[in-house]
Amino acid sequence: MAMADGMKTEHKTPSDITQIPIVWRYELLKYLRSRRLLASVGIAFLVLALIYVLPPALGQPYSGTDRDEPIGLMSTDQILPSGWVGPHPLSAGILYRSQIDLSTFQIRVNGSEYPSDNGANWTISRITYQGQGVYVVLFMQNLTDKVVTATYEWYTSPQSFATAFLSFAGILVVICATFFGADALVSEFQNRTGYLIFPNPMKREVLFLGKFSASMTAGGIVIGLFYAGVGIMSLFQARGIDADFAASLAFAAEYLLAAMAVAYVISAVLKGTTGATVLTFFLFLMIFNIIDGIALLTGVKLTASLLFSAGVITYILIDPYPTDWSQTFPGGFNINNFYPDPATAALVMVLWTVIAIAVSLLLFRRKQLVG
Amino acid sequence: MIEVQNLTKTFGPIRAVDNLSLKVPRGRTVGFLGPNGAGKTTTIKILTNLISATSGKAMLNEVDVLTHPKKALAHVGAVVETPEFYPYLNPVETLAYLGRIRGMHSKEIKERSNQVLQEVKLEEWRSTRIGKFSKGMKQRLAIAQALLHEPDVLILDEPTTGLDPRGMVEVREIIRGLKKKNYTIFMSSHLLGEVQEICDSAALIDKGKLLVYDTIDNLKGLTKIDKIEVTAASDFSDFMVGKVRELNGVRAVDVVNGRTFVITYEGPFEDRADLLLAIQGLGAKVTGFSPVGLPLEMMYMDLVKESR
Repeated sequence: MAMADGMKTEHKTPSDITQIPIVWRYELLKYLRSRRLLASVGIAFLVLALIYVLPPALGQPYSGTDRDEPIGLMSTDQILPSGWVGPHPLSAGILYRSQIDLSTFQIRVNGSEYPSDNGANWTISRITYQGQGVYVVLFMQNLTDKVVTATYEWYTSPQSFATAFLSFAGILVVICATFFGADALVSEFQNRTGYLIFPNPMKREVLFLGKFSASMTAGGIVIGLFYAGVGIMSLFQARGIDADFAASLAFAAEYLLAAMAVAYVISAVLKGTTGATVLTFFLFLMIFNIIDGIALLTGVKLTASLLFSAGVITYILIDPYPTDWSQTFPGGFNINNFYPDPATAALVMVLWTVIAIAVSLLLFRRKQLVG
Repeated sequence: MIEVQNLTKTFGPIRAVDNLSLKVPRGRTVGFLGPNGAGKTTTIKILTNLISATSGKAMLNEVDVLTHPKKALAHVGAVVETPEFYPYLNPVETLAYLGRIRGMHSKEIKERSNQVLQEVKLEEWRSTRIGKFSKGMKQRLAIAQALLHEPDVLILDEPTTGLDPRGMVEVREIIRGLKKKNYTIFMSSHLLGEVQEICDSAALIDKGKLLVYDTIDNLKGLTKIDKIEVTAASDFSDFMVGKVRELNGVRAVDVVNGRTFVITYEGPFEDRADLLLAIQGLGAKVTGFSPVGLPLEMMYMDLVKESR
């Protein structure tokens, strides 16, 4: 060995900042080679496939053609808002489809084609009715005694399409926190790899940040691919992407950050990898849910709850943004529905992230390799 | 250079290390001895930033590892217990990871990895995932990673543990080679022969306290007790064995077989000649008269017994 005294190469220990990417790289390799990342991506694609395939298979397709769909007509007094301006129609009908391709829309009255004639006979508009998008066909004549049918191509709106898929984003975030965060710290102690890594000239904080950034990268890949999948499918199936899709992705990333930080706290506290993994998973899927459920039953809006705040991931897609409501039934029984305010939810998730990272870092620094 | 000053570590009511002070000068190889639970591994864990100390200082190259671990460990290589490796990496990748953390360049990492893997006889396994390695192979790799960056100071906690006899000999050869190159080596071991064979000095601790710290030669001289195996041309009679027990300085006689017995003798080294003459005077035709057991082992047993 060429290690004679005086011939040794002097190494300058890299700075903390430059050591973080080194740890990040090898930690990410762990997720790649242990196939955890592959499994998580597989789960994400499975969720996409199930939501895409199952509803049509069960008779609820995302698009299609309605042929000679009867339109139940009613008097316009029942549906036109007071103060209606413009041509005054005499009858109207509603079509409960979120998006209709108007270029394919045809009306038949008693089996004969009934053209629009530039609005002289009928017009069609999309309105929000009882919280959902519907189409109203306004007829200038009273056709309530006639058989009126419509033929058209329809598809699910980008909002409805995205909402159906992204309601599973929260579960994916929990899976990522469990797979990539729960055992990140505790494994160094339980698996005794700390004996290898700790005696190196590297601060525990650097090791922590390298690991955390690798966990976030792995989780980000899974969530990113999931959103990309939803986006691409939405482009083809819903003929567009919801305007708030990017905002939903941003909230999902923020939730991933907070959930990962909580998983790191558990990893810093517990002594075994199995316990940390199980606790992380059940904390989010069971314990937090129970707490939120009890709060809802008792009529308390739990603004500080991480899980409650994460609801913004899907609510942000809904236009207009839903508002809290309560209903009291005979006997004093209440049903409450609370929705997180987007700005407050963002702040709550940031607070959870900051506090959880600080606590887990402190615990990791103090944890000793005994036994 | 390694120096601990008034180092104390308590675990609840237990004082694992009790006001320990010792210094390993630059270029020296010092053995760290003590029975199980004496505080050897705790001391080494403090020196390698695995656990904190309750009080005192642990200096590596004049930098306190307790307050500035990154700086203190920059030129230190360590093998503590048998470390586990990341099973998804192979030896080359593991060495690259640790080399990069230490600021080594890619070319240097490659060259040094080849050298150290060859040194610990793992070059054939360089691309095999460590998850498949035996304990002995992991111990060899642990030594390789400790040597990778050509440290000034080596801290080894029972470096031959888990190795087969051939592996033990090879590791001792490696340490001897490093010793010749003026490395500062601090190694704990249960194997007194190993310490006697490799080290310049040895420190003996028990219950966290330093019992003795001196050169191996001086430590050998500390012991007052010898064991001497005596062999004769014909069988010893019970009468003759009884007479040997009564000789001056003889503490015990253990009969091995009819022609051989082992005397536990306490007395000055030069008085052994008188003991031989006395046995011969009893009519025994002595064909063999030689000390058995290692001097360091005698000293160890002697001092540990006293401390307890």
